[in-house]
Amino acid sequence: MTVLILTAEQDVTADMVVAQLHERGVPMVRLDPADLPGKAVLSADYAHGDFDGYLSVNGHVLSMGGLRSVWVRRPGEPAAHAAEPSPWLTAETRQALFGMLYSASTRWMNHPRRAEQARHKPWQLRVAHSSGFAVPPTIVTTAPRVAQEFVEEYRDVVVKSASGPPPGEPPVALPTTLIGPDADFSGVAAGPALLQQYIPKRADIRLTSIGTRMFAARKAAVPGQVDGRFGDTGHAWEATAVPGRIARSVHEYLVLTGLAYAAFDFAEDEDGVWWFLEGNQGGQFGFIELETGQPIADTVAEWLSQRRPAHRIPEGH
Amino acid sequence: MRPFTLNYAMPTGQSAATTPYHFDVALQLNVLPDGRPAVSDRALLMATGTTTSTAGSQTHFDD
Repeated sequence: MTVLILTAEQDVTADMVVAQLHERGVPMVRLDPADLPGKAVLSADYAHGDFDGYLSVNGHVLSMGGLRSVWVRRPGEPAAHAAEPSPWLTAETRQALFGMLYSASTRWMNHPRRAEQARHKPWQLRVAHSSGFAVPPTIVTTAPRVAQEFVEEYRDVVVKSASGPPPGEPPVALPTTLIGPDADFSGVAAGPALLQQYIPKRADIRLTSIGTRMFAARKAAVPGQVDGRFGDTGHAWEATAVPGRIARSVHEYLVLTGLAYAAFDFAEDEDGVWWFLEGNQGGQFGFIELETGQPIADTVAEWLSQRRPAHRIPEGH
Repeated sequence: MRPFTLNYAMPTGQSAATTPYHFDVALQLNVLPDGRPAVSDRALLMATGTTTSTAGSQTHFDD
């Protein structure tokens, strides 16, 4: 039984898990969908009321009948490395690859359908409400007046991107940024703005959840710090305990979203409350493991290595 | 009109960094010039920043 990892070759965080799978003696195939067609080859057979399929890349072969689990890490766009790439070829290749994988009975970390929905930050906030997390007041709007009123009500407000920075060259970042009531809100009409009450924090919390296992790390903040991803605070990530109330909310969040893996960001305020900021369905974990020594990669490998339950019908989760 | 959120974009200052490892098709992971897995050199990974929460954000928004 073989683990399939969908990710780019340069993804060294995936390497941390690959090394653990090698240590466990678990067969695996690593595929970047960008290499299909071309370096990778696929065949799926739907005949006589039955199904089987094969993937091969760099001499490694995987049968759908022997598929243990799929880890969707940092895959490229299907057919992106093709000799003549096109949106049509990407769509066709996505149909072939994921249509075949969906036909197999396997476990997903995370299932693409669940992942696609879980990427929506506004939905994350609603699920976080339902899961019992403390969530800062937030608004998503294309109405300049509504944005201005929100800032006037909550005073200290940050703006953040829902989907990340825009692609292109030169690369730009969109750090979460404090804005004031004097900002020019006219641009809100040109694109949705996600505004959130700023939580003065004494620490950033990163909680990585794999199946039922949780690893929390804490990094002390410096006064006035807004986005913990940018700038050096002089503090390092340190392992910290997961409060029982948070653990229960994380469990509920994962049940509601159907995710096997998520990396949560919290702001810890002066009273020790962990405020939910976001739940990243494919969040990075390498930097946490390197600084804290928490065995996150090994836990991912352990989850991927588990034998699938016997199902005649492919699982939808 | 420029979308409000883009008013807060800033250059990353990142250039196309060359990493001292390459993908080994047999092992299916990146290796150093001496053949050791790149992940065995934790100091190198910390220095190259390839595992941080902002790595890959240009193409993947799951930080």
